[in-house]
Amino acid sequence: MAYGNALAVLADPTRRKVFERLRNGPRAVGALAEGLPVSRPAVSQHLKALKDAGLVEERSEGVRRIYSLRREGLRELREWLDSFWGDALDAFKLEAETSHKKTPRSR
Amino acid sequence: MAEQVAIAPVRKTVRVKVPIAHAFEVFTSGLTRWWPHDHGVGKKPIRKVLMEPRLGGRWLEISADGTETTVATITLWEPPHRFAMLWQVNAQWQPDAAMKSEVDVRFTSDGPDATDVELVHHKFETMGAEAGASMRKDVDGGWPGLIARFVAEAERSRH
Repeated sequence: MAYGNALAVLADPTRRKVFERLRNGPRAVGALAEGLPVSRPAVSQHLKALKDAGLVEERSEGVRRIYSLRREGLRELREWLDSFWGDALDAFKLEAETSHKKTPRSR
Repeated sequence: MAEQVAIAPVRKTVRVKVPIAHAFEVFTSGLTRWWPHDHGVGKKPIRKVLMEPRLGGRWLEISADGTETTVATITLWEPPHRFAMLWQVNAQWQPDAAMKSEVDVRFTSDGPDATDVELVHHKFETMGAEAGASMRKDVDGGWPGLIARFVAEAERSRH
C-alpha cells in the first residue's frame, strides 16, 4: 500500500522538511540541504526514502541529480486522506459485494 | 428570506456488483456493517451506527456508553431506488438538528447483478455561505480528524 509507506516516511520531521522544500519546485541536494541541521549525505538518505515511497522523483542534469515531487504519489496519499463520502462508498461497496457472495440469492 | 447563493453539490458514484435490492438493504439497514466507525459526530467510541429504514427514520450513532446521536433524518424513502435525508451536522461537525443540507442517494440497476449508486450531498447554502462552503469542502474532501488518523497511522507504521 503506497500511502502506508508515504505516511511512515513522512513521519520523520527532517524528511518532512525536505519534502516541503520540494513544494517550491525541483531542487538539487545542495540547495535542499541549505539551512537544515543535517549533513548533505543525510539529506540524500532522506531523499532516497521519499523516492522509495513514491513521493519524490529524481532526474540527472549533467552530474547533478534534481529532485522533484511526484504528483502521482501525492495523489494516492491525498485520496486516502481526503475523502469522506468517497471512503464511505468504498466501504459500502466492499460490504455489499462480500455479503452478496456469502449468501447468493437464487433468482 | 435572505437571499441564498447556491453552492455546488458534491456528487460521488460507486458501482457495486450486486442486485439493486441487496445494495439498498446494505446501504440502509446494514449501515453499521460498513460505515467507518471513526467517521462520527457524536460521543466516542461509537458502538453502532444505525439507520431506521423508513420515512422519518433517523441515522443514529450509538456510543459505547449508550448515548444516541442523530446524524440525519430520512425525508424521502423509495426502496430500493432512492432515499434522501437531512444532514443534521453543522460546519464544526457537531450534531445540530437545525441543519438542512441534504444527502440524496439513488440506486440504478444495470442488469440483475450490478447497481450504480449515486450520492449527492447538496443544499449547503441553507447553512449560510461560510458554513456551507466549509461543509462542502469537508465532505468532498477530508473528514475532520483525518489528520489525526494520518498521524496515528504514520506513527504506528513507523515502528
